[in-house]
Amino acid sequence: MGGDMNLAIIEKEGLHLFVAELLRRKNTVVGVKDQSAVSSIPGDSGFYTYAPINSPEELTLSFDVTLIPPKKYLLPAYEQLLTFNLSPGSIKADAPKEELIVFGVHPYDIIAINQMDKVFSTVPQDNHYLERRKRTTIIGVDPVKIAPRAFWSSMGADTVAGGFDLMLTDIGQCYVMEVGSKKGASLLKMAPKTREAAPAEVKERDKVRTEARKRCDANRLSFSYLELPSLLDGKEEHVIWEEKSHLCFSCGTCNLVCPTCYCFDVRDDVSIDLKKGSRYRTWDGCLLSDFAQVAGGGNFRGHRADRYRHRFYRKGQFIYRRFGDIACVGCGRCSAQCPSDIADPIAVFNRLKEGI
Amino acid sequence: MGSPSPYLPGLATIMKIEEQTAMEKLFVVRPNDGKPLGHKPGQFVEVSVFGVGECPISVSSAPNKKADFEICVRRAGNVTNALHNLKAGDVIGIRGPYGTHFPVEDLKGKDLLFVAGGLGIVPLRSFINYVLERRKDYGRIIVLFGARTPADRLFKAEIASLARRPDLEYLETVDVGDASWKGNMGVITTLFPKFTIDPKKTYAIMVGPPVMYRFAIAAARAKGLADDHIIVSLERKMKCGLGKCGHCQMGPVYVCQEGPVFNFAAIKNLEEALS
Amino acid sequence: MSKPRVAIFDFAGCEGDQLQIVNLEEGVLDVLGQVEIVTWREAMKEQSDHYDIALVEGSITRKGDEERIKAIREKAKILVAIGACATIGGINCIKNFQDEKFVRRYVYGDKAHWYNTYAARPVSAVVPVDANVHGCPINREEFVQVLKALLQGKKPFIPDYPVCVDCKKAGNVCVLLKGQFCMGPVTRAGCGACCITEGAYCWGCRGLVDDPNMDAARELLGRFGISAGEALGQIRLYDGYGEEAR
Ligand SMILES: Cc1cc2nc3c(=O)[nH]c(=O)nc-3n(C[C@H](O)[C@H](O)[C@H](O)COP(=O)(O)OP(=O)(O)OC[C@H]3O[C@@H](n4cnc5c(N)ncnc54)[C@H](O)[C@@H]3O)c2cc1C
Ligand code: SF4
Ligand code: SF4
Ligand code: SF4
Ligand code: SF4
Ligand code: SF4
Ligand code: FES
Repeated sequence: MGGDMNLAIIEKEGLHLFVAELLRRKNTVVGVKDQSAVSSIPGDSGFYTYAPINSPEELTLSFDVTLIPPKKYLLPAYEQLLTFNLSPGSIKADAPKEELIVFGVHPYDIIAINQMDKVFSTVPQDNHYLERRKRTTIIGVDPVKIAPRAFWSSMGADTVAGGFDLMLTDIGQCYVMEVGSKKGASLLKMAPKTREAAPAEVKERDKVRTEARKRCDANRLSFSYLELPSLLDGKEEHVIWEEKSHLCFSCGTCNLVCPTCYCFDVRDDVSIDLKKGSRYRTWDGCLLSDFAQVAGGGNFRGHRADRYRHRFYRKGQFIYRRFGDIACVGCGRCSAQCPSDIADPIAVFNRLKEGI
Repeated sequence: MGSPSPYLPGLATIMKIEEQTAMEKLFVVRPNDGKPLGHKPGQFVEVSVFGVGECPISVSSAPNKKADFEICVRRAGNVTNALHNLKAGDVIGIRGPYGTHFPVEDLKGKDLLFVAGGLGIVPLRSFINYVLERRKDYGRIIVLFGARTPADRLFKAEIASLARRPDLEYLETVDVGDASWKGNMGVITTLFPKFTIDPKKTYAIMVGPPVMYRFAIAAARAKGLADDHIIVSLERKMKCGLGKCGHCQMGPVYVCQEGPVFNFAAIKNLEEALS
Repeated sequence: MSKPRVAIFDFAGCEGDQLQIVNLEEGVLDVLGQVEIVTWREAMKEQSDHYDIALVEGSITRKGDEERIKAIREKAKILVAIGACATIGGINCIKNFQDEKFVRRYVYGDKAHWYNTYAARPVSAVVPVDANVHGCPINREEFVQVLKALLQGKKPFIPDYPVCVDCKKAGNVCVLLKGQFCMGPVTRAGCGACCITEGAYCWGCRGLVDDPNMDAARELLGRFGISAGEALGQIRLYDGYGEEAR
């Protein structure tokens, strides 16, 4: 087939073979699975998770949203940074070594990854993250099922222009496969039964996307997301922060499940003989009560409402002012998983817009 | 990894330890590679005690051609306690210097009003000594120093010689005195009526505990200082010093990157800056 | 430097198998190889023996316990409370019960247990405690973490955030999404959310976080048709002492 195919067609059966080929070549592939297949808890069925796959049959591409975003592969929940000897003192950095193919990432999650790339490549660069990123291949897929709380269609996150190596769209009998990088192009060469997409098929892809966008519009921001930074100006004292955070557990769920949240804590661990050790980082979240607490007990964000507000300002304004991105991509994970159901960005932002 | 880890500290050896008060010790530290830190006054380093952790500590010595530098550490928790338990010859880790510094160049020719509350003297000492090494480059110098009690005063000998200098005005106070204390008593703002300044020429440089700023800034404003003539250094929780971990955020500002030294005019409208 | 000497004491402890927990601890201590276990607890004399670290299990349930624990405190350089009974008082540990009927019986049953006798209380209610190893039963890894920290002379890291944090890091489906209730949002993390990972939900065996949002907890339990009284019972189940104190 043509060497410079940018938009290819791959038959469903071909995709199957493609995944099998990736596995045969000893790639580590993670893809979306039904959670019950991973946890062995029957009630977990219908929730999705990224996990390693060993055969094409294990892969789901028609998921709505995963519990935890793919950030767990780029910024793992626990990540060793350094190892050291206590005495005599010596220290060295840990380097990520695994290559990974993440198969099936929705556009909003790719946008979130692109945002993280910006954060971690800003000088001083975080080479632990960047190294992992470099070793990760991202194969995107357009959503066919819409998560009940998703609102990516109104966050400018229904499609993504870059950040993936390949991007799949299910147009019925086959997939349109867009090449997003050189890595993607060479992967495509491995895929059997591909051909260049015909104009009608490209149109079909647009149709599929428009269709999904419309369905996602069931939940939406009532205004353009680009207005968020200015909307939030001067709303620091709005009653909504106290009112909503009254039921906030400071449990950090809204941070930890968010694809754009990247805050972490750094801790040391020592071996059982107290002679060696490691320094690792682990997910942290600005909603947790001790996030801004310093030695001696002083806490720069000691009130629940302040922490609760901080997150919304981060999503809608702070990150925009720092990196030029609105840091909510509308995945709806926080909305769905907050134990008090107070974390939904559209509920808060729409209310601020209404001005009441 | 193709590129080095920004979290990897360099090894450094503790050359000397001096007890300052019951809570604070001064450490003379020498990087094992023998290279000077290359810091400017007001910057900080991340200090590691391996197996315990890492924390941000201001460099207290003035920039120097020698590799040795000084830090003054209050025992406040795990890492700082562990530092206090070390002895000369022990090895620690150092990353940095990080953060913004006092605008030593821009302030040349200006009158300087240093306001040091408690541990705030630690980073200010770097700047004060820097200025004294270049005394003629700067105008009038006033140093205000406030401590909780006489026993909490840091750098006692150095301060005493500072106080004797004819080319510098020195005023100090303690919140609570004791039997031997003959000096001023009261919070640091009670020193402000004791001097006059030319607000056009003068810059106030303040470092102290969070509660100090509001009052000290009000006192400085009352003396006619414009907000952009006030320079502060702020403390926040820090876990990386690299603008990544998120702990030091103050609204959209990352204190480890845009700070710790700020011009007050630039941050005064930030919701979380000085509460 | 000689190895720190460790002694294990137990007070009113688990109705489950105490010995198993003690064995676990001693097994761990052996692995550590960093300490010397000075006495078998049965033979322990608080007044005379020499030890640096006292590991205390069980809650204080009688006046007489108080003198004993005070004597231990005086001797020990470091006193560590081990297990829910010792750290948060609670009811005596009942391991692995996930039986809703039992909870109801407990909640509606004879509450006199709480108010008449000298109410069971955590070790920290009587003497200062240097570290708590929470949980019923304790988490072996955490126990090792705490012991290592103490041997290093540092304050052990005991999270002051809810179990939900561990639960997210473990990648679990929140049981609330499956229509079950959970004490995780007000319970101190550190167990890795093991119960949820294994298909159950959190009973709050590690006690409450320092600043639990009880209004939110009541609201949450209410959503599952559990009344405020029952909710309180839920909390008392493990953190009765802390709840009363609040
Ligand atoms: C820019 C800057 C300069 C500082 N300069 C000095 C100095 O010159 N001398 C001095 O004695 N202290 C200084 N501090 C405060 C010092 O960093 C804290 O006392 C120290 O982090 C406490 O750590 P710990 O491990 O001993 O305490 P723990 O309570 O065990 O701290 C746990 C962790 O929380 C974080 N943390 C806790 N308190 C603070 C805090 N106040 N600031 C930042 N992170 C914190 C640290 O990462 C620490 O590892 C400075 C802080 C900042 C931000
Ligand atoms: S998920 Fe909900 S309850 Fe938990 S911290 Fe976020 S807003 Fe608060
Ligand atoms: S804030 Fe919520 S909806 Fe927005 S990206 Fe994060 S988790 Fe998704
Ligand atoms: S919202 Fe909070 S946890 Fe998320 S990135 Fe921002 S500061 Fe960090
Ligand atoms: S299952 Fe329980 S502990 Fe886990 S997230 Fe849900 S409420 Fe929190
Ligand atoms: S999940 Fe809850 S009940 Fe289970 S060990 Fe942890 S704190 Fe205890
Ligand atoms: S200390 Fe980590 S972002 Fe500033």
